[in-house]
Amino acid sequence: MAIQPKRHQMPVQSAAERAKNFKEVALGYTPELAVAEAERCLNCKNRPCVAGCPVNIAIPDFITKVKEGDFEGAYATISASSSLPAVCGRVCPQESQCESKCTLGIKFEPVAIGRLERFVADYHNANCAEAPSVPQSNGHRVAVIGSGPSGLTCAGDLAKKGYEVTVFEALHVAGGVLVYGIPEFRLPKDIVAKEVEGLKALGVDIQTNVVIGKTLTVDELFEDGYEAVFIGSGAGLPRFMGIPGESLKGVYSANEFLTRSNLMKAYEKGSHTPIMHAARVAVVGGGNVAMDAARTALRLGADKVYIIYRRSMEELPARKEEVEHAQEEGIEFKILNNPVEILGYKNEADRRDPKNGFVTGVKVIKCELGEPDERGRRRPVEIPGSEYVIDVDCVIMSIGTSPNPLIKSTTGGLEVNRHGGIIVDENTGATSREGVFAGGDAVTGAATVILAMGAGKTAAKAIDEYIQNKR
Amino acid sequence: MYEVMCFVWVNFPNDPKVFDRKYWYLCPFDGASPGDRVIAPLGRHNRTQEGVICEVRITEDYNAPFPLYLIKTIRRLIKAGRFNDNNSFNAGVTAAMYKIVKKRILNPTVTMMDIEAPLVAAKGRAGQFIILRVDPDGERIPLTIAGCDRQDGTVKIIFQVVGATTMALNAKAEGEYISDFVGPLGRPTETEGIKKVCIVGGGVGCAIALPVAEQFHKLGAEVHSIVGFRNKDLVILEEEFSACSDRLTIMSDDGSYGRKGVVTLPLKEALESGEKYDEVIAIGPVIMMKFVVETTRPFGVPTTVSMNPIMIDGTGMCGGCRLTVGGQTKFACVDGPDFDGFEVDFDEAMARSTMYADFERREREESCNLFSKEVE
Repeated sequence: MAIQPKRHQMPVQSAAERAKNFKEVALGYTPELAVAEAERCLNCKNRPCVAGCPVNIAIPDFITKVKEGDFEGAYATISASSSLPAVCGRVCPQESQCESKCTLGIKFEPVAIGRLERFVADYHNANCAEAPSVPQSNGHRVAVIGSGPSGLTCAGDLAKKGYEVTVFEALHVAGGVLVYGIPEFRLPKDIVAKEVEGLKALGVDIQTNVVIGKTLTVDELFEDGYEAVFIGSGAGLPRFMGIPGESLKGVYSANEFLTRSNLMKAYEKGSHTPIMHAARVAVVGGGNVAMDAARTALRLGADKVYIIYRRSMEELPARKEEVEHAQEEGIEFKILNNPVEILGYKNEADRRDPKNGFVTGVKVIKCELGEPDERGRRRPVEIPGSEYVIDVDCVIMSIGTSPNPLIKSTTGGLEVNRHGGIIVDENTGATSREGVFAGGDAVTGAATVILAMGAGKTAAKAIDEYIQNKR
Repeated sequence: MYEVMCFVWVNFPNDPKVFDRKYWYLCPFDGASPGDRVIAPLGRHNRTQEGVICEVRITEDYNAPFPLYLIKTIRRLIKAGRFNDNNSFNAGVTAAMYKIVKKRILNPTVTMMDIEAPLVAAKGRAGQFIILRVDPDGERIPLTIAGCDRQDGTVKIIFQVVGATTMALNAKAEGEYISDFVGPLGRPTETEGIKKVCIVGGGVGCAIALPVAEQFHKLGAEVHSIVGFRNKDLVILEEEFSACSDRLTIMSDDGSYGRKGVVTLPLKEALESGEKYDEVIAIGPVIMMKFVVETTRPFGVPTTVSMNPIMIDGTGMCGGCRLTVGGQTKFACVDGPDFDGFEVDFDEAMARSTMYADFERREREESCNLFSKEVE
């Protein structure tokens, strides 16, 4: 049988329609499409895709099950390795992980592994009402700090092994970045809620409104009888550029803008949370968070949204699908541009003018690419005298975060690097303090959901070994 | 000297090793009664377990039923019947709601509440704040802690009814619950090495200034308090302030109570007359703090201000509460809320606080029928 060179397209909402609503962009495969796509898989012996997956899902096995129409079987295969399949199928950068290793991809388009994973998880969530059985408790207790992707994965894996796990969450709802950061149109919140419910069904206890480092400390968790602690507290304070005008009204960090929209539901009509419905918006940065912020601004009613990025399209760190979706929706990419100042309205004659202090534009300077930096990305070099002004009334800074200081400042014996990230052993997630493990953005700084999940998984295994050997 | 303490005799029916024994614990929470469930440390490793109170004994410390230096303390008290699901402890904790134990109207727009939140009460210190949500779809608002009762496990908050959320909170009665209450957040006020302090409070800011004044008083410092209000009807906490201040000056804008004028007036007089304060702490509207700083600057008296910018998560994630302090970007939620007054850019802070003025006005109008009612 001839191999079909192109992967099957996933149905999506049209760009014109979706740019005005917060419903999910991609609609997912139908069973027929899923089986057809699964049939493209060669089921090769050396399984290169598995090595490309941070949590090592048995990809050819689950695809074989899909081929056979055994979707529940496929789900069982995925969930043996991944605690959050419906989330990963949506937000993983598959093109640079499993799919980049696909043998088919050498000559043709790789198998759409991410889309198949998403289909399988959605099929399971829609059709399976059976609650998982709670594993027999082994009597050991573990505390997990943060209910984002790393924390939930760690908690899920430990619960499956029989540990009594308590997850502490600072916000009023579980999910971390999956809830406050990633917008509804990319990852519907009821999918996150379902995954969290799945963990609770495994016996995981989730305590919201507890800030570890403030309400309780890591030392108190040990006093309370937890034998190990996993820190997955995520990214912290947003970075700013340190240019003039960053305190003007209408300048947001991407974290604040997205938190208002996603967590606090400012996108819903009649919401009590204020957010700026700006007509012209500039988002500074080129990561997934920048894409999310730009597309959220568009859906909140902006006429024009710019992404300002200082390197070229090739260096954009965002997931390819998000960049494509953003372009289709009409977001303009101002690449090789770097902001030097944010301009504000100032009526000298009338200091009570309500428009005073609001953003009117952003002054940028053009760049060209110079020598590669230590990570191999070509460094942007400013072109003198090339400044110009883009008229906007809102600027969203999306240039990364630095790790949260609350835990390290209240936990003795926890070593951090010069960026404030917790130092861990890469193979185990163990920190400099006995019994304390860490993973996710708290260690690496802003990264991806799947890397955080991989770290949660590694730590769960190491915590299990640590506690078993301690006896 | 002795102290009266509450001891409880606890049985752990779910633990197969000790289900037939009972242990004495110290109970730091008020209102414990037989049948209530508790979370208490058990055994050599102090593993927390769920138990049931069999007996409560309130007695002097020298009559303790178990040596005081050995007795362990209850971590949490769950009142029987507080949750519908009596059999499941986990259901109770995950569906945690925070009870309004006490409510007192201080003046027509300012209300005081004691909220049951033992974990916050155990840690909260003067200068720190909490974030609450009234309803499951409500906004998160920061409020400074006005006091903590570690025994009762309650946290005192004082708020002015200004927006939709504070209106909703004010509509709650004693005995009702609010959905979220998290803290203590921010850094506590620095008190070390200060022998003589002047506390300047303005309006509802006095609610935040009070625990700071009380803290200094307790530490033995000489406390001079200057509190200002718009008029007589708005004066709050006079009794509490006079109890912890060596000198109290009350000011009102219109002269209807105390002295007429703004708070900087007596402050300036005191400094000019040669009062040597180790520190001046100003808590109130940003404009007031700005003028306090301008008053103390020529005298070089260290001046701390308590900033209250717009905030969402309060844990160092969103960056909404940023301020410029000494030319650097600082975050009130983790770096503050107290800052060196000489370094704060007040004009910028004032401008940023009006970012949503329009939205808030619309919200108020929507939630208040008076605005939509035509005048007949």
